[in-house]
This record gives sequence, C-alpha cells and structure tokens, in this order.
Amino acid sequence: MSYILHLLILLSIYSVLSLSLNLLVGYTGLFSFAHAAFYGIGAYITTLLMMKAGWGFFPALFIAILGAILLSLIVAIPSLRLKGDYFVLATLGFQTIIFYILYNWVGLTNGPYGIPGIPRPQFLGFGVDSIFAYSVFSILLSGICLLLLWRICESPFGRTLRAIRDDEIAASALGKNIYRFKVLAFVLSGAFASVPGALFASYMRYIDPTSFTLMETVFILSAVLIGGAGNIKGPIIGTVFVILLPEFLRFLHIPDTIAPNVRQILYGLFILILMRLRPQGLGGEYKLQ
Amino acid sequence: MSILELQQVSKSFDGIKAVDGVSLSFKGGKITGLIGPNGAGKTTLFHLITGFLRPDAGAIYYKGKRIDGLPPWRIAAEGIGRLFQDVRVFRQLTVLENVLVAFRNQPDDKPWVAFLPFRRLKDIERENLEKARYWIQFVGLEGMENVRAEDLSYGQQKLLAIARLLAVDAEILLLDEPTAGVNIKMIRVILDMIERLVKEERKTIIIIEHNMQIIRDIADWVYFMNEGKIIFYGLPEEILENKEIRRIYMGIHDSVPVKGR
Repeated sequence: MSYILHLLILLSIYSVLSLSLNLLVGYTGLFSFAHAAFYGIGAYITTLLMMKAGWGFFPALFIAILGAILLSLIVAIPSLRLKGDYFVLATLGFQTIIFYILYNWVGLTNGPYGIPGIPRPQFLGFGVDSIFAYSVFSILLSGICLLLLWRICESPFGRTLRAIRDDEIAASALGKNIYRFKVLAFVLSGAFASVPGALFASYMRYIDPTSFTLMETVFILSAVLIGGAGNIKGPIIGTVFVILLPEFLRFLHIPDTIAPNVRQILYGLFILILMRLRPQGLGGEYKLQ
Repeated sequence: MSILELQQVSKSFDGIKAVDGVSLSFKGGKITGLIGPNGAGKTTLFHLITGFLRPDAGAIYYKGKRIDGLPPWRIAAEGIGRLFQDVRVFRQLTVLENVLVAFRNQPDDKPWVAFLPFRRLKDIERENLEKARYWIQFVGLEGMENVRAEDLSYGQQKLLAIARLLAVDAEILLLDEPTAGVNIKMIRVILDMIERLVKEERKTIIIIEHNMQIIRDIADWVYFMNEGKIIFYGLPEEILENKEIRRIYMGIHDSVPVKGR
C-alpha cells in the first residue's frame, strides 16, 4: 500500500512539473532546459525558510513561488530577446548556474551533503505525517496547480500562446507583443515548477543538488514529449508512463547484476519506437517542429 | 487626405537598393494597386510599412503619426493589418480560434483572467465569438468553425487569413497577392470580398497583384514599381496602356477572366 501511495505522490509531483513545462514547450513552442532549476529553487527556498527561519510550509511555499518568479524574470527578460537556439542555451546556462550554486554554497545549502530532516507540512492544524495523509495533501495541492494550469491553457492567453507557437510573424502582424507573451509564459512555467519542488522536499525530508540536475529537466521533458505536447492530457499520460514504466520493468525477472542496465535499455528502446511510430506522443496533437 | 504616407523611404540589402527613395501617399477608403515585376521591391515596401523591416532612410506616417521604427505588433495595433503572400494561418488552431485570436479587445495578454469564474470568462468571450462567426460567414467559411486550419484547402486558408485580418479591425489592409495560387472561382470570391470591404466596411486597401486584369477591375489608383523605385502612377487604365510599363511587364499574361464592376 505504501508503495502505491509513494507512486501516487510522485505522479502528482511530476504531473505539475510536466504540465508547467508543457505551457512553455507545447503551448509557446519554447524549449527550456531550466525547468529542474525552478523545481530546485522551490525545494530549497521552502526548505531553508522552514528549517532556518521556522516558517510554516505555506508561507515558505509562497516565498518560493515569488523567488521562482523573480529568477524567471531575470532569465527571461534578457534571454527571450535572443532567437530560438540561443534562448535554449541561455536556459541551459541558468540550469548549470543554479546547480553549482546549490552545490557550492555550502554555508547555505550544505552543498553536496544535502539538507536532512525537513519537516512535514501542517495542514488545517494537522501534521501531514503519514504517507496516506501526505498523498492526499500532495494530490490536493497538485490538483489545484493542475486546475490552474488547465484554465490558463484553455484561456484566451493559452490560445494566443498556441498562435505564437504556430507562427510568430503572423501573430505579431495581428498586434500581439510576442516578447511579452513569451516572458509571461516562462514566468508562469517557472512559478508552477517551484510548487512540486516544495512538495518533493517535504515528502522526501531530504534534498541535495543531484535531484535538480539537467538530467531531471530531460526526464520532465521526456514526459512531455512521450505523452504529447500542446494539450492537457498528453503530459499527464507521459508522466504516468515515465514514472510507471520503470516500476513495471522491475517485475521482469532479470538477474540482479544486470537488471538496472537492462531496464534502462528497454526504457530507451521503448521511447525510440514510440517516437518513430507516434511522433506527436501518446496523447498529443501537436508535432514539435 | 492621405491616411498613410511614405517620404523618401529607402532600404538596402548588402548594398543593393531594394527600395530607393520611395514617396507615396494612400487615400482612405480606396483600393490602391501596387504593381511591378518580381524583385521590384513591393513586398519589401510592405515589410517597411508593417515594421518587419526598418527603413535605412525616410519616414512613414500613419494618420500623421510617425510609425517607422515601431515594432510590427505596435503598427498592427495602430490599425495597419497585413495579409501575407504565403497565408500564414495558425495551422494547429481551428478556424474559429484563428479568428478569435486576432481580436484586439480580448484579455489574452492577462493570464490571470483565466482564474475568473467560467461564466464571467464566457461573458468576456461572447461578444468576440459572435463577431468571429460574423467574419467567418463574411468570407464564406461558415460550417467550418471547428476545422483545423491545416486541413483547409489553400484557397480556404486564404479566406481564413482574410477573416483573421478583418477581426483585427485594422483601417488599412495590405494584401500581398491575395489571389496567387487559388483557383478562378476562389479568385472571384476574394475580389468580391475586397470590394465589399471598401463599400461596406470603409477599409483602405493596398494590394500587390500581378494580374493586370484584376488591377484594372478593382483598383482606384495604381503605383508601378521597378528596381526599388516608383516609376509611374495614375489611374489603372493609364498605367496599363503605358508603353514603357508594357515593355517592363512583357511576358506576364493576363489570363484570368474578371467580371467588370
């Protein structure tokens, strides 16, 4: 039972991560390699405020979201003036910088040793201590994020983002300030990515910088691409797929000595076949250009 | 009185003058033809007017306000709309969404509007939905509201691009070869619509067109461009009977039959 609840918590966390990245990749047509950085910012700001300042989970989360907004503005304002590939490189640079700050600022983040003993949140006066309570809490908080993301994607704002994705020049000729829309999409994406960071930290009760590397961004991106970008259901399907497939592969009777590698190969092979047969992803409609 | 005025506008690419000291003025509520051989600088002139290119020299005024140097979205917001030669519809959006996205009065730049109650959001969209359906009907695409733009024929995509342009509610419409690549029946539909836009909606239209019969049929005034310069201007009949223009344009056939006004 704990195992299933653990998977549910992971699914709720990664659903928000993939859907918030989808706002950028699938709706706006912008590739970003900085998503794990915002995930990490959410985790670290919440953790530090809870542990060093004695704040509650929600006030700490609020500041974490503001921190993610501020940092995403710092990245977006100069880098979104750059064209396509250069913007991707700028996000890659930001991801690397955040990782090395978390890794090397030992006085604040405890560096590679990580931060253990992160407290669980209090919710409506109750401590969310058991795994069952945490799964309910995580699903509720993620559910609110997913609802808000869904409303944004389906709103006139989301429609204009899709228009920009399809043809920036045409959208510009209709009077749309492309730069402003892209900055807003990037900021929203970063802000939403900080929430699962806070959830992850208080669930695992331990964080270190290796949870927020470039590989983590690639993992979230794979959920979006496998599930399908540009709609709501695609990234959710993709998240279920990337979280559960390795778990299913555990049930294959493979000798322990080679099991991890074989699972990785099977996982990679499956993704290759899927991308060949269904490039728009399992539940997607939009083929990335 | 002219609504749009270009004064000594020039633009060069690698030392080659694409537009060379062009001065033009366009009257409101009229159809002005911009003709000339390929490479004459007509589309470059449209790029300059709509802000996709900045002139090297000269000035562009819209209703007395200088607009050269403004970004394309600002110029569009001022009231200058553009139909591209290669249609540029939003391929993955439906016909209805393509038109809806063009409205200037929608709250699409405010993501927090998404958090309003459903009913409030519906109210905001209701007026635009009605208008969008009107423009879709105006161009003859009714019944196709939920079809994705990429699934339309090329001619239908042109009509959709026109509907989208009309939804912008621009006062000046720059049409870059609106009949290129569409069949004769569709050409007739598009031309009728252009004439209705002037008569019923009082739009000002500047049209780039290679088909001389179309120009003769719909334009009130014509500018002829060659090698980046305006070399003739006048009434369509005067331009088309000019021997020099016929010489420059030799080899272009006017084969599409167009009904007279």
